[in-house]
Amino acid sequence: MEKLKRFSLPGFILVMAVLPHLLDSSWQEVAITFLVFSVVALSQDIILGKSGMFHMGQGLFFGMGAYATAILNNEFGWPILATIPVAILVPALIGILLAGPIVHLRGDYLLVVTIGFNIVFVQVLQNNLGGVTGGPNGIFGLDSLSLLGVELMSQLSVYYFAFAVLLLTFWVMRNLEGSKAGRALHYLREDQLAAESIGINTRVYKIFAFGLGAGLAGLAGTVFAVQYSAVSPEAFDFIQSVLFFSIVIVGGSSIPGVLLGVFVMFVVPEIFREFATWRYFIFGLAMIAAMILRPRGIVPATFGKIPKFLIKGGGHGA
Amino acid sequence: MDIFLQQLANGLTIGSMFALVALGYTMVYGVMKLINFAHGDMVAASAFVGLTIYTQVMGQATSLPAVIIIFLLSALAMACIGVILERIAYRPLRTAPRLSAVVSALGASLVIQNGIMLIWGPRMRIFPELVPQIYWDFGGVVISLIQVIILVLSLVLMVTLYLFVEKTRMGAAIRAASIDQDAARLMGINVNSIIALIFIIGSSLGAVGGLFIGLYYRGITFNMGWQYGLYAFIAAIIGGIGNIPGAMLGGMLLGLFNAFIAGYISSTWSDAFTFILLIVILIVRPTGILGERVAEKV
Repeated sequence: MEKLKRFSLPGFILVMAVLPHLLDSSWQEVAITFLVFSVVALSQDIILGKSGMFHMGQGLFFGMGAYATAILNNEFGWPILATIPVAILVPALIGILLAGPIVHLRGDYLLVVTIGFNIVFVQVLQNNLGGVTGGPNGIFGLDSLSLLGVELMSQLSVYYFAFAVLLLTFWVMRNLEGSKAGRALHYLREDQLAAESIGINTRVYKIFAFGLGAGLAGLAGTVFAVQYSAVSPEAFDFIQSVLFFSIVIVGGSSIPGVLLGVFVMFVVPEIFREFATWRYFIFGLAMIAAMILRPRGIVPATFGKIPKFLIKGGGHGA
Repeated sequence: MDIFLQQLANGLTIGSMFALVALGYTMVYGVMKLINFAHGDMVAASAFVGLTIYTQVMGQATSLPAVIIIFLLSALAMACIGVILERIAYRPLRTAPRLSAVVSALGASLVIQNGIMLIWGPRMRIFPELVPQIYWDFGGVVISLIQVIILVLSLVLMVTLYLFVEKTRMGAAIRAASIDQDAARLMGINVNSIIALIFIIGSSLGAVGGLFIGLYYRGITFNMGWQYGLYAFIAAIIGGIGNIPGAMLGGMLLGLFNAFIAGYISSTWSDAFTFILLIVILIVRPTGILGERVAEKV
């Protein structure tokens, strides 16, 4: 079992690297969606699972990245790759600015405020504030990827772009876990008072988590905009944020759990297309059942290399 | 001045609907510390159930007894669903981590919302005209019979609930359970029955709210529960969550706020203004207007 665990991540990466060559173009599309939403769900996990903040507005940061790319490309003619730094920095900075006054709020209050941010964001997009968001229709007709003057038109290049972003996310998550910031977040999630009493500046680390999660989601937004060559408000609606929130908690806030959640939520419906109208009804039942049977998630997260017998209870805080 | 009075009347109408729905949220939150996300969808379901009772059971009758029966049957149906919901989706998670219960509530919300869609279809349905269209014109300010009924009936229900919670033994048990469940259990209060009672009261008030929404706005959709539910929950927070008079006050204030935004600024920005109001209130007075100043950090 331990061996299986050690080889599962490289195995997954290997399979994902050769996968697009085995799929036809419509399934490649589904695979790209899986990669993009995995990144968003993992970025949500940084804020919700790793830091224990009840954040239900990840669609805001995801959408902000997508719109940053779309507006810069469509209005100002920037090449797609050049928009990436902006698509990361703008959501990250907004995330930090928005988080500043609210991170001290207790669980459910934070939840409602972040829902609010998401809803206000979608309303801003729909009302076409500043005349650049394209209103309810959004923005369409983006350029395709180009590298050193070579146009990369094929879907395959979008796939590998998305894959690279997912690998980057894995790398960030792994480094976060081993870093000082990651340990601080783990501690403050388990017991905020205790963390404060040994001198951890919980406020700074919480805001840091928001910034990091927002930046990664923004990068995923760029890939999303490239994939569809368009952005529209409903893709970043509050219901999407609810799905990402649920994926992290049902998955258990671990990488395999979150990936499994994304697979079930976004890939399985493509397999069972004839049940499309039943989709959310079944998901709702599955969410209730999963939480009753495994309250700490399907694959509960572990932290660091602490042996099992030393962990008392374990799992999420709050 | 006309706009002011007109929006005052509209705001009080909308506000009493928010308040009725907010009561369900605040009572459940008070005892279980859980946002019952499914409550908004039960409000929506009530409007659809009312529609079906009207067409299938009552044979489209709009006489007063028929309307009363529609209200009672819808409230009864929602009370049953509320109790079943609590038993299946919430009770097994009472000792689980907070977030698990939140996800279970979200799941329940998806189930009810999409259950409505599977039964009644995804398109907007028109709610029957149960109340005659009578309007009074007070020098430019138009008030309809529906508005008067909604306001009066809501006030009666809220005052009754307030008296029930404050003046009866069962009400005292509810208050005890919301202050400290374990201590209440030690005093011989059956907390499980109290929670079931709260779901019965909250769901039937929400059901009345849902029928009012149908009567007032006429168009009902399967996913309207999210919108009204969220507003009602915000109303509960503004008033001080867990506080019953607070939910009534918060609902009225939020209704008036929305009506004046729609009247003086623009209704396309009402969500944005509502959430800005919420954030300001959470920063200035985190426990809400009538919430107690407790030591617990918000």
